[in-house]
Amino acid sequence: MLPLVPWIAPPALIQFGTTTLLIATLAQAWNIIGGYTGYASFGNSVFYGIGGYGTAIAMVQFDLPFGVGILLGGALAVLFALLLGLPVLRLRGHYFAIATLALAEAMAGVVSNLDIAGRNIGLILPLRKDDVLFYELSLALLALATLIVYWISRSRFGFGLIAIREDEDAAAVMGVNTTLFKSLAFMLAGFLSALAGGVHAYWITFIDPVSAFDITLNVMMIIMAIFGGAGTVLGPLVGAVLLASISEVLATEISAMASLFFGLVIVVAVIFMPRGLADLARRFRSLGWRYFRENLRLHRL
Amino acid sequence: MKPILAVDHITKRFGGLVAVNDVSFDLQEGEILGLIGPNGAGKTTLVSLISGTIAPSTGKVVFQGAPIAHLPAFRRSRLGIGRTFQLMKPFLGLNVLDNVAVGALFGTGGGRSQLHRARDEAAYWLEFVGLAHRAQQRADELGGPDRKRLELAKALAMNPRLLLLDEVMAGLHHGEIDEVVTVIQKLRSRGISVLLIEHVMKAIQSLSDRVLVLHHGNKIAEGPPQAVLSDPRVVDAYLGSRHK
Repeated sequence: MLPLVPWIAPPALIQFGTTTLLIATLAQAWNIIGGYTGYASFGNSVFYGIGGYGTAIAMVQFDLPFGVGILLGGALAVLFALLLGLPVLRLRGHYFAIATLALAEAMAGVVSNLDIAGRNIGLILPLRKDDVLFYELSLALLALATLIVYWISRSRFGFGLIAIREDEDAAAVMGVNTTLFKSLAFMLAGFLSALAGGVHAYWITFIDPVSAFDITLNVMMIIMAIFGGAGTVLGPLVGAVLLASISEVLATEISAMASLFFGLVIVVAVIFMPRGLADLARRFRSLGWRYFRENLRLHRL
Repeated sequence: MKPILAVDHITKRFGGLVAVNDVSFDLQEGEILGLIGPNGAGKTTLVSLISGTIAPSTGKVVFQGAPIAHLPAFRRSRLGIGRTFQLMKPFLGLNVLDNVAVGALFGTGGGRSQLHRARDEAAYWLEFVGLAHRAQQRADELGGPDRKRLELAKALAMNPRLLLLDEVMAGLHHGEIDEVVTVIQKLRSRGISVLLIEHVMKAIQSLSDRVLVLHHGNKIAEGPPQAVLSDPRVVDAYLGSRHK
């Protein structure tokens, strides 16, 4: 049914849909490294930026078609994830988060000084006024990301990732090649994020360092994934759609205070359902309203 | 008999502290070797050096005739070295069955590739350690004794040739200890070699073919259980020399 939306919906809704599908894809990609593997990456927006720039450079500087450009962007992100992953995936917990956090700033700085990337002015991509196409592309991308996560959730690879998340030493002595699995998860997350970046750049027809390597985007995908349920197949998707909708409604109804209320929604969610909607759905049936009370007690409020 | 495991002059320093000092020993195929010593003697460090979670400062580890000290932990486990952790490390977010299935998926020889076969095997090992009735519970719902059993089942599901058991009986009451002793005897009859770290002397005496004693990182005695436990140096290590 979702692919048919553009034929019945007004243009504004199609645009909102495209944005939401793209960020849901990002949340799902983050889910692979952050949710399943337990490595809270703040570097996924870097992959998104690389995907956008890869696509833009291929199309603008080399006159290559979009399909080739986006795959180049994806390949570049995979390479980046591999080279970057080898050192930073050795760090655990907060140290990993901080190391990846620095990346976005560094990348914005690097790209601002590259002639091929249009320095700090950015690049203007060929115009393609076809909102339906971009909606369908984004939908396909989210479907792909979700299928991959579904496969992960019931594969040997996924069990290895979960074992790493739960206890990396125990995973290693049980035969999990932790370095390989972490790198693969990081590359997979990087690839999917880059594809989303490529579609977005072509859709918006413009890319510059500040918007391409925006750390708030990374924060957003983490919030959405955790709100829905990190480490579950559908959680990040549901979380992204719900939060994007709430944010959109707030922005149109009470534009001035929208972010304040949005923040309130997140604070309430973190307090009453810290493990996300998926955990709530699983345990509310047996616990009822006690579920919220127990979470509240967990915070000692 | 040829040894399944040979530890050759192994030393581990943590900064200025020598946790394991120039220790050598052999473990024969099918043997149960008890490893005892006071707290802080370096027993767990020795197990970690064999399983590969830490690297030795100097010395060699030879498993089934091949040197392994340079291999990462996951490779050693695939060669057939399984271990349990004294500070248990269950995968808390997974249910009990899937905790064990991880061992079957990644264990000796690369393990099973299919999830349902790994789960079948996991179910078998849960039955083996007496934890089958908890298969569908989440690991964080288990109490201490059941976590010990889970730790054992996880290691067994890897189908190891050599099992390093780090205090799997600590905190268990008498009946439970007897159960674990029975499990270990069954493993012996399957030809699995065991390095058994334990403070429960009753278990050490009834299970061990030989006993090795560590004290301040040094090997101070090795031999048959009765002889070793009455060795004055061992008694001193445990009770202090002032008891005389």
